[in-house]
Amino acid sequence: MYQLKGVTKRYMRGKNPVDALAGVDLTIEDGGRLVIQGPTGGGKSTLLQMLGGLDRPTSGTIELDGVDLARLPESRLTKVRAESIGFVFQSFNLIPTLTAQENVETALVPLGLGAKARRERAAEALESVGLGDRPTHLPGEMSGGQQQRVAIARALVKRPKVLLADEPTGNLDESMRDEIMDLLDGLWKEHGLTFVMVTHDSSLARKAPRVATIRKGKVTVTENAAA
Amino acid sequence: MFFTYLRRELRRRRKAALVVASGLALGIALVIIVSSVSSGMSKAQDKVLESLYGLGTDMTVTKAAAAQGSGGTGRPRFEFDAQDDEDATQSTDRVMVQGFQTLAAGIVGKVGKQDGVADAVGGLSLTVMKVDGQFQRGEFKQDESSGTQGGPGGGQGGGGQPQGRVEGGGASFDVNSFTVYGTDVTQQDLGPLTSSTITGGRTFKAAETDAEVAVVDAAYAKEKELAVDETVTISGTTYTIVGIATADSGDASANVYIPLKQAQTVADSKDKVTTVYVKAADSQQIDTVKAAIQKNISGTTVTTSADLAETVSGSLSTASDLASSVGKWLSIAVLTAAFLVAGLLTSSAVSRRVREFGTLKALGWKSGRVTRQVVGEALVNGLMGGVLGIAIGLAGAYAVTAVSPTLTAQLGATGGGGGMGGGGGPMGGGGPGRQTAARTLDIALTAPVYLTTILVAVGLAVAGGLVAGAFGGWRASRLRPADALRRVA
Repeated sequence: MYQLKGVTKRYMRGKNPVDALAGVDLTIEDGGRLVIQGPTGGGKSTLLQMLGGLDRPTSGTIELDGVDLARLPESRLTKVRAESIGFVFQSFNLIPTLTAQENVETALVPLGLGAKARRERAAEALESVGLGDRPTHLPGEMSGGQQQRVAIARALVKRPKVLLADEPTGNLDESMRDEIMDLLDGLWKEHGLTFVMVTHDSSLARKAPRVATIRKGKVTVTENAAA
Repeated sequence: MFFTYLRRELRRRRKAALVVASGLALGIALVIIVSSVSSGMSKAQDKVLESLYGLGTDMTVTKAAAAQGSGGTGRPRFEFDAQDDEDATQSTDRVMVQGFQTLAAGIVGKVGKQDGVADAVGGLSLTVMKVDGQFQRGEFKQDESSGTQGGPGGGQGGGGQPQGRVEGGGASFDVNSFTVYGTDVTQQDLGPLTSSTITGGRTFKAAETDAEVAVVDAAYAKEKELAVDETVTISGTTYTIVGIATADSGDASANVYIPLKQAQTVADSKDKVTTVYVKAADSQQIDTVKAAIQKNISGTTVTTSADLAETVSGSLSTASDLASSVGKWLSIAVLTAAFLVAGLLTSSAVSRRVREFGTLKALGWKSGRVTRQVVGEALVNGLMGGVLGIAIGLAGAYAVTAVSPTLTAQLGATGGGGGMGGGGGPMGGGGPGRQTAARTLDIALTAPVYLTTILVAVGLAVAGGLVAGAFGGWRASRLRPADALRRVA
């Protein structure tokens, strides 16, 4: 479970301080699904990075299962990222020189698994996203949707507790968007993940049970009973 | 994963990898070539010095010649009989101590007893000038108009004296000069003869301390058509040739070698030597031994190989200076530039891979692992440069050896130099005075590549890779995943 209390992230823009997050209080239950929405520059991605332990707040606490990520030493924070958090990025962020299977394996490297175990788990993950027949394809040889599937396989292969997705359909066309969202929804349900997604897409937000809207660093959470 | 990732990345960025590797290769190749040419120079200089000293000699002890006296002592003087025997061939020779004043033979023992001296042996260097030929009388021819017979005389007479002139007559003499070295046959492991190999007959026996035997330099023997069992005459004494010696450097220290005692006899220098050849017990202590000898045995000049090397001039010296100055600095400059270029290119490559490394860090890769990946790639680049550089360097060194440019070394042209002067030229070093005769040698330059050079090249390649890796690795380690992802968002 995530518990954020008074999370503030202040940047300096020239000589002027800007609060990307201004005292955010937020709770995300285990297995919960939250969509973060808001205008560009409103602090959506900053919040996602705080949740993923990629950045630290200027003040406040970000507890994941009782551990404050804001105060965790870098080495332990890296371990949390390696074991518990899966990321999916808008631009897929695959290593262009590695095959689909090898890209998935990169998420297992920090876990210290042997080569054989890595290969087997990566193959399973690719199978689960429908790319079991393309393990040796390079990212450049795949469509955007396929690349995002590889990225999802990479995020899930470590069997994380949390899946964080930053505009996962932002670079895809509509049909591909639905395909990827169906995949993510299925995996969320199947694995009981805590799933947090940043999106601009209101149609996707409408389907989410909880929506956090960020404006000027402030978060407002709305429950969507219909979803 | 490390190697797969590394291999793929190097393949993807092969142009940049080639630039980095080529830069390092150029630097490393230069280091190998300069180093091997320097080794070749050093070897050539050693050869030059060996031809004077012989193997194993660390220094020589001589007595520098006194300044030219007004009496002209030491200048060769030849006397011929005024014989009536018409057209008789006349011959005479002069034996002179070469280059230096002589030292008492007792000095050899004294030098040998100095601290740090392993061995000392004396030798006597001589120059023999042989002049032979004949005088021819002129023939008096009377003027036909005078009708009067006259005796020999040149000018025209008058007053009833016979009129006529002398025609023809004169002198024809050959001058033959050669060098002789009196060697201590009981200690043949030190001294000039050690720089030659016996290629015919035998060397001296230890018992032949006063035997009339000689070993002749192969080049001289060829010139004079001498062979084993034939004879050579020095100042009236006939020596049987027992061996032919071929100089290792191609230029012998003397034309003829005879036992020391015989040399002392023919030069009328009983119990004298010109040079004491000294071997130090420890090659690192040569300067200490030199100082001890100079302090304890006054009136002598001690010349080490290093001193003698300073007197080397000619193209060998010029090339050696070039190799050690220009070559060295050029290598350092190219290597430094190559290291910097490699570092900057690696650093720039990291900048282009910000998102990649940010993603890996987001996936839980530690900074150390990302840094290792960058350093690993740079190291492989460095090693590729090393392999390429070693190949180019070896090819360059091979080319130098194959071409074998001839360098000229002039030795001992200044006063105070040790060793033997005069390689057999007329009057070479024979005159008194401080100046020893210049000795000119042609040496074919080689460029030997030693294992240590290769190891240094590999070390440089690794260092180049590490320097480049340090640049890139430092940047990669400082990347924060959030910043990395934000910058490309």
